[in-house]
Amino acid sequence: MGVEALDPATLPEHDNLPGNAYAYCVRLTGPLFVQTGRMIAYYPAGGGTIRFEPLTATSLGSMVAERFSSPLYSRDWVVANGQGHVILGDRGYDINSYDLDDGNLTVRASNLLAFDAGLELKESIIPGFLTLLGTGKFLASSSGPVIFVEPPVRVDPEALVGWADCPAPAQHFDAGWMGHFLGAARGALFGTRSGEERQYDFTGAGTVLLQSSERVLEDPHVLQRLEGEVRQLGTGQLQRLGSVVQQEIAQRQQG
Amino acid sequence: MTFTTVTSKVVLAQVAPGREVLARRGAMLAVTGRVTFSPVAGGPGGGAYGGGLAASLARGVQGEAVALMVAEGSGAVHYGFHGHHVTVIELDGSRPLSVEADRLLAHDASLSSSVVFLGQQGGLRGAVRGAVTGQGMFTTQLSGRGSVAVLSHGGTFALPVSGGRQVVVDPQAYVAHEGDLRVDVAAAVSWRDAVGRGSGEAVQLRVSGEGTVHVQASEEKL
Repeated sequence: MGVEALDPATLPEHDNLPGNAYAYCVRLTGPLFVQTGRMIAYYPAGGGTIRFEPLTATSLGSMVAERFSSPLYSRDWVVANGQGHVILGDRGYDINSYDLDDGNLTVRASNLLAFDAGLELKESIIPGFLTLLGTGKFLASSSGPVIFVEPPVRVDPEALVGWADCPAPAQHFDAGWMGHFLGAARGALFGTRSGEERQYDFTGAGTVLLQSSERVLEDPHVLQRLEGEVRQLGTGQLQRLGSVVQQEIAQRQQG
Repeated sequence: MTFTTVTSKVVLAQVAPGREVLARRGAMLAVTGRVTFSPVAGGPGGGAYGGGLAASLARGVQGEAVALMVAEGSGAVHYGFHGHHVTVIELDGSRPLSVEADRLLAHDASLSSSVVFLGQQGGLRGAVRGAVTGQGMFTTQLSGRGSVAVLSHGGTFALPVSGGRQVVVDPQAYVAHEGDLRVDVAAAVSWRDAVGRGSGEAVQLRVSGEGTVHVQASEEKL
């Protein structure tokens, strides 16, 4: 069987491309928020155009301000407007569409591709995650198919894609590791690390979304957020932070 | 059947008292129930799980040491590692599995693991093979009854080897082998390689004996 060429008549309205979990086609019916770098191709319909406008320069000013409540991420997103098909992809990851019906879902910021204007975006309390509220559709990617798990569950931070309906997680530290931590001086922790001492602990009713772990992209926003918080510290605290950073750098260079 | 496949990249392991699971450190994705993780000293089979200090020292020196942790208690654990594909291999106790330590994701703690010097498999040629393929002079051998989850790039397929039939495998695509197999390096180096016009397949692994060899669908190392 040869490769079948797709055109606007055969492209799906709102689905993965036929036989391809890594690319997703959306037919624009209204403004669509898209993370920069995730658009692969687009097909304007009927001789029109699709415009990709930065959030700062869009003609939809007040709508954007209402829907996109995250100054930290505002430079990474654009609004697609017009008539036609937009095809999206992300690092060869599997892409899924999710429907929210007056619900909420929190997802890793780098794994969120697009969402429609029925949804409202906010920053999660957990750094590096974004929360979507309201009614509408959004697209998210995962390394391999997404695995849905019900709480109570504890999750490796790298393997977490997001969570829906349940309360934000608490950080859990392995009991064995805590014992060593409390019993010994910090320097004596050598040989007690299982690599899993820090986990996110989910309780309550809801769904947790998992993927196979990955080397998490360095999220520049986590750094920005930390930099913002540094201003609250006093001089002594800053010096202490400086030495912690130096130690961490030295450790990584050894490892 | 300790492991069930959830997706091509994730396996689910049931842990119970007496059914502990050893896994690579950092490979736990999610856990339900009362399960605790503790480090195992000295790589495969170290500490309380066989091997002993001398063996673990040898491993450390030879690069066959990958930090492991043991999951104890009762519950279910999801395992995966850096988005690599996972293959579950069932061992019935009749033949051992040889695999590189850095390709091991998880295995039943009831399996006994040891580090084997490649020189024992075919003398000097075995050692040459380790050096040529970049796998080092040692490999990890698992024996007993139980399941093993092995990492690969792009998934694996099994090739049976029996009788006089031998199988030739690309060294980068080789993942593991089961049974009493002889693995030799076959060099087909010609003058073309010397001038940079070779086929790119100059070094091959020639597998013969009785057993199964697992090959990944990619030449990329982990």
